[in-house]
This record gives sequence, C-alpha cells and structure tokens, in this order.
Amino acid sequence: MKTYILTRVILSIPMIFILLTIVFVVLRILPGNPVTAMLGPKAPPEVVKSMEAQLGLDKPIIIQFGDYIANILRGNFGDSTVTTLPVIQELEERFPATLELTIFAMIIAVTIGIFFGSTAAYRYGRPVDAIARIYSIFVYSMPVFWLGIMLQLIFGVWLKALPVSGRASPFMTPDNMYTGLYTIDAILNGQWNVLYDSLLHLVLPSVTLGVVISSVFVRMVRSNVLLSLSSQYVISARSRGIKESKVLYAHALKNAMIPILTIMGLQFALLLGGAVLTETTFSWPGIGSYLVERIRYRDFPAIQGAVVFFALFVVVVSILIDIINAWMDPRVRY
Amino acid sequence: MSNILEAKDLNVEYLTRDGNIKAVDGVSFSLGFHETLGLVGESGCGKSTIGLSLLKILPINAKVSGNIFYKDKDMVKMPDNEIRSLRGKEISMIFQDPMTSLDPIMRIKNQFFETIRAHFPKMEESEMVKISSNVLKSIGIDPSRLENYPFEFSGGMRQRVMIALAIVLNPSLLVADEPTTSLDVVVQLQIMEVLKELKDQKDMSMVLITHDLGLVAEIVDKVGIMYAGNLVEFGDVDSIYDDPLHPYTQLLLVSIPNVKLEDMKLKYIKGNLPSLKSPPQGCKFHPRCPFAMDICLKADPPTFAVKGRKVKCWLYKGEKDGSRKTDTASIG
Repeated sequence: MKTYILTRVILSIPMIFILLTIVFVVLRILPGNPVTAMLGPKAPPEVVKSMEAQLGLDKPIIIQFGDYIANILRGNFGDSTVTTLPVIQELEERFPATLELTIFAMIIAVTIGIFFGSTAAYRYGRPVDAIARIYSIFVYSMPVFWLGIMLQLIFGVWLKALPVSGRASPFMTPDNMYTGLYTIDAILNGQWNVLYDSLLHLVLPSVTLGVVISSVFVRMVRSNVLLSLSSQYVISARSRGIKESKVLYAHALKNAMIPILTIMGLQFALLLGGAVLTETTFSWPGIGSYLVERIRYRDFPAIQGAVVFFALFVVVVSILIDIINAWMDPRVRY
Repeated sequence: MSNILEAKDLNVEYLTRDGNIKAVDGVSFSLGFHETLGLVGESGCGKSTIGLSLLKILPINAKVSGNIFYKDKDMVKMPDNEIRSLRGKEISMIFQDPMTSLDPIMRIKNQFFETIRAHFPKMEESEMVKISSNVLKSIGIDPSRLENYPFEFSGGMRQRVMIALAIVLNPSLLVADEPTTSLDVVVQLQIMEVLKELKDQKDMSMVLITHDLGLVAEIVDKVGIMYAGNLVEFGDVDSIYDDPLHPYTQLLLVSIPNVKLEDMKLKYIKGNLPSLKSPPQGCKFHPRCPFAMDICLKADPPTFAVKGRKVKCWLYKGEKDGSRKTDTASIG
C-alpha cells in the first residue's frame, strides 16, 4: 500500500509538469495578454512597455517558462496581475467557498443517487423505476444555470424565502476563521445565527448543483444495483432468510458501490476545480468564478495557479479513492 | 403429517415480453421425513425452478400455481414474512456455483452472523461464533477461517462453506441445486460424501437436483425424472434404476458412459429439449421418443400409477402391473 501511494505520487509529478506546460503555452497562444486586457487597445506604447517589463512579459518566452517553473517549485505561484496580491493567498480565500459548496452539493447528489437509484433498481419496471429514469434524463439534459435561474426566480423572487447570491448576508460572517467554511466556523464560534444564515445561502446553489450531478448518480446506482441484485449471492442471501432491506443495502448496494465510488470521487475532485456555471449564477465567490473573472483579464499567474491547484486536488482525491476502494473491497491489494 | 414436502399440480410460468415460458408443468410429488429425493433432468427441464419455488425465491416475473405443502402448510399461499422465517431455518438451499454464491466483500463470519441474526435477532456474538465454528468443523473446515473472505477459499472449500451456511440453523429440509456441477471430479465426490453424512447423521430431508443420474444414485431414496417441465417418472431409486418405465428414463440410463464396455462409443438421446414457449402438441417427448404412437402426437399423457411408481406415458395406459416391456437394448 505504501509503495503504491508513493508510486502514484511520483507518477503524478510528470503529469502535473505536462499540465503546467500546456496551460503556459495555451495562455500565450491565445490572443491578448494581461497588459492589453488591463490598459485597453489605445494605451500609449511606452506605458505598455513599462508594464510588460514590470510583469516580466518582455523576456524571451523560454526564460518566462523557466522562471514560472522555478517559482512553482518554490511554492510561489506569483502575484496576480490584477490585484498584485499573491495568487496563493487569493486561492486560499476562494477555495473554502468552493469546498463548502462542493461538500453540500455532493451530499445532496449522493443521497438522491443512492436512495433513488437503488429503490428504482429494487422496483425494476415499476412506476418508481420509470420516474427515476425520466428524472435522470430530464435533469441531465437541463443546463445547470437554467435550473439555477428558475430556482432563484421561484424561491428568491416569488416566494422571497431564500437568498439568491453570495455566501452570507452583510455582517453575517463568522468572527474567527478556522477552516474558511462558514458553516463549520460558525459552529466552532457558537454563532448560531451565522450558521443559519450561511445554510440559507447554501440551499439554492447546492441544490442546483447537487440535483444536476445526481442524474448521473441515479442512473449509475440503478444499473449497478440491478446487476448485483440478479447475482447469485443475492439469491443465496435471500434463501437464508435475510431481510429484503438487508439484501438490498448490505449486499446488493454495497457491492454495487465499489465502481460507483470511483466515479463519485472523481466528480468530487472535478467540482473542487470550481463549478463555474453554478458559482457564476449564484455569485458564489469560489474558484470557478475566480477563474472566469481572471481569464477576462488574462491574469496569467492566477489562471496558472488555479489550474495547478486543481490538478493537485485531482491527484490527491484519486489516491484517496483508491485507498477507500481497497478498504471496501478486500480483493483489491496494491 | 406423513410427508415433509408435498407438491400438488405445481405450475411455474415465467412471463416475458415475447411469450410465457412454462418451466414447470403440473408437477406432483411427495417426500417423507428423512428421505432424499433426486430430481434429474437435462438443463432447462425446470428442475432448478422447482428448487427455487420450494423456498419461494423465484424471479419476480415467475407465476406459481398449485400447492407446495411444507409440513402440511401451503407455501404458495403463505405470506412473505412467514416464508422468510422458514428460509435458512427450516428449509435451506445450496447452489450450483459456489464461486458466486457468497457475498465477495463480506467476511465468512459476518455471513454466518447475519443468517443467524435473521432468525434469532437477540443471540450473543459469542454464541454465534460457537455455533458457526461447530458447523464449520463438522464439515471439515478450520473455524479460524471464519475471519476469511470468500476469495480466500478454493471452489470445493467454498461449497463446503455454502453447505455450512445452509445447515447452521439445522433445517429440516435441504435443497441442493446441482451442488457439484461446477467442481472437479475429486471434489465432487468429497461434497457428495459431506451430503451423505448430513443425511445419515442429522436426519435431514433433502432434495437433490442434478443432471447426473449416476452421481446421486447412492444417496437418494426417491427419484423424479423431469422432461420439459413435466415429471415423467417418479418412484423409488432402485426400481427406477433396475426397471425404468418411461422411454426417457430408459434413454437416460443407457446414455451413462461405461468405460468397461468395449463399445466405447458414447450414447446420447437424439434431438433437443423442445422450446418451452411453444411446446409440441401431445406428449412433449414424442419428437425424440422411439416408441411414439399416434396418440402421443395428439394428447398429453396423464400420469399412470404403475408398480408403485408414477409414469407419464401413454405406453402404460390401462396397465396396472407394467407388464409391457420396451426393449432397451434396441434403442441405444
């Protein structure tokens, strides 16, 4: 197991290096650069020159690449060209928002996926099954921003029941930040009104994101549980008088979850890179909206930093998935 | 209550999108206490379906009619909850494929525990360990292997574990659906030996489903020969082996390979099982039967009582003593 994890970590180094190179190259091939993005096309040439020099963009591209790699190896992601703040600091500020949204959305998606999917499989061919299939196709084909806007309209504008944007109302942030997750920090501080406020803000974005992701989960759980329900160990468990609920959850679902877990984990990692559309729709100050914002300004260090950050998470999460897999399935040995 | 099990006019139909399949067609038989019944037939003749219906664990598209009396209670009409409390405790089943019959990601220990808990929810863990260890020991497996996962056992060992799981609560009836088919010959004999011991020592009644007449001859008391969903012959094992009445039984016995004979050519029954979706008119066996008569093509034979046996064949119409002899030698 240890050697397996070590190999995985070592193998991820070239992967991240290739990713860094691609991001670097693509950003410089794209038309526009930070200077024109900030100063506009009519800026005087000498101002452009001095700014390019200030950002190091006048150096040969290969030198820029060398500097960039060397800095990242030292843990320095550079400073944002827009705010001049260190990128790492900005990511640290934005990431908890994304993490909080992701966790709540995943809880919703996994819950819907497991219960709806396994019930549909258990009641194969019955109305519940039909509803599950229609649900997953309907939700899957629904653009996430459309669902978000509809929910905003219904619960925010018409019913005025839920906030439609941001993470918290003014002056409703936790006093002391420990994790950056408002809900957790509010609990740690004992600020129950802050907890309530942040939960209210979480409802619409996490339901939107969670419901959209759940469509794939429902389908996957349904077909995998269907498969394991028809397997011999389920029939043999039944023949020993095991209760139906136990047959479904302890045998069929547990076996079906092994392949599903991998996909759920990867989905989680994907979301940590920022659910761009959801975050934009709900003005959620996470990594996704950060990335969109900075691409507009051609903020090279910020974009590069965000991508590397994201890649690191995918690597970490996929190793975690493998560990969980080995723990769930005794046949897996690394 | 003279019989532990009695099936009366049992019918099982599988409803599918392109037609219904009649897997079991009007089967009646009875099994006394401490008796062993061998159900013999080709693949697809409905013998496994009978096995599954004895525990009522058929797929959801199966439609059952008729009666199955277990200790004089009709299981076909029994509510699900009552049936569930019988499974594993009164009636148990072992299956053909030991490689897939155990949950692959659950320790053997826990599969024992959940079986015991399903019937005795309040039993202490130490008590369950004791029971499980004893039953494993009795079947030739070291109790320390309770901690193992199914993949850590060989095929034969797994079948032993399956048997141990089935008998852990001392059921009165054990249904074994081709318990040795997927095992190699040496292990096959070992497993048969285990079953025989169970029969002798625990006084269990057994239904042994198999396609191998030779393998079960030693341990069964009664034999039922199945063909295309029908029970074509039913009676004592010795009389059936010595004097098979139904042409299908005769052909089955002739086709058991015998290495001692100089004529080493394998004998077999020509033709295939008919489609159960649209079975042939009249007797289902007539297309393959060497003695087919006119009436066989027109009408399905009833079951005649001949020599204390039951035979579903027109050859025995009106014959109480079964004096009519068919010449077995000529049909190989």
